[in-house]
Amino acid sequence: MTARFVSSCAGLLLLCLAVQLPAGELPAGVMPVAGIEAPPLQLDNLDGVAYDLADSGGHWRFVHFWASWCGPCRREMPSIQKMLPLIEGTDIEVVLVNTAETEDEVFTFLGIVAPDLVPLLDTDGLVTQAWQPRGLPSTYLVDPGGRIRYQVLGGREWEKPAYVEFLRGLAR
Amino acid sequence: MMPAFGIDKPYPGPFIEREDLLVVLRQRTPEQMAAFYEARGFPGAAIERIKASCFVTVHMENRGHDVIWLDTALWTFTSKGKPLERFDRSYWDSQWDSIKLRQASRSTFGWTQLPALRDLQPDEPVGGNLVFPGNTERFDMTLNLPTGADRQGKPITLEFRDVECLQEVEAE
Repeated sequence: MTARFVSSCAGLLLLCLAVQLPAGELPAGVMPVAGIEAPPLQLDNLDGVAYDLADSGGHWRFVHFWASWCGPCRREMPSIQKMLPLIEGTDIEVVLVNTAETEDEVFTFLGIVAPDLVPLLDTDGLVTQAWQPRGLPSTYLVDPGGRIRYQVLGGREWEKPAYVEFLRGLAR
Repeated sequence: MMPAFGIDKPYPGPFIEREDLLVVLRQRTPEQMAAFYEARGFPGAAIERIKASCFVTVHMENRGHDVIWLDTALWTFTSKGKPLERFDRSYWDSQWDSIKLRQASRSTFGWTQLPALRDLQPDEPVGGNLVFPGNTERFDMTLNLPTGADRQGKPITLEFRDVECLQEVEAE
């Protein structure tokens, strides 16, 4: 297999892509990142329960930023819902962060398209801003040590085998 | 290649489609834009400013194998041969400061704007608004797009002619 190495680094734009990881083996849109420590993520979820990414180490985290007004986010969310049973048995934690919407907006949207998902609420959008996503939706894969290892560009069809196998491979 | 979620065909406005790149423009009326932000809780003072502006939504997808740079500083906008004023992020920041717009709305507005600079990776989409004064007449857009991770590849130049700021049709 020919590995294609990514050597792009655009300052803070792209969190500096890693140069050693074989991008050619990754599903489309999944970009390796040079192990940058994940920014703080302390928020309450839709049920009012506090969450802190720093306290949830020891396993991979799928951190996904979205908003209901964003068309690609709306199309992607059902795919995340479908992905959940397909990665069952792994210890990957799915962490959804809604960007700058109200509880009502989030509840109304998710209740229809992905009722099993309970997102965190970044009500003023400042946590999202600190993560510097390239746009919405945006997904980061954070390793058990709290470092961002992959950034996923745009919305993806997460229930497709390439993505499921990739995620299951992380958790092995 | 796994498909990413993008814009659907048929494209909703003027577009340029090449093997390595898709750019679609979508023109919206001030009322459409105002309704979008009003539904997300923007106050009247913000809606007034939005209604007095011309929004053109840009969607781009890198369909090639090399990095394509979105750098709006290299784009030109002209009307009748003269440079066109554009309302950039600093303009909106000053507007929002003047009306003390709450942080959540500022965040939402920011995420709906086209990034000023982006190293668009293969298979990556990006989208957002360009904003002009509301009384803008038909104008031309020239998109100069460097390529390559180091911006040293063969540049791409795209031209859109007679882009229109849509106005609401008066009911009879």
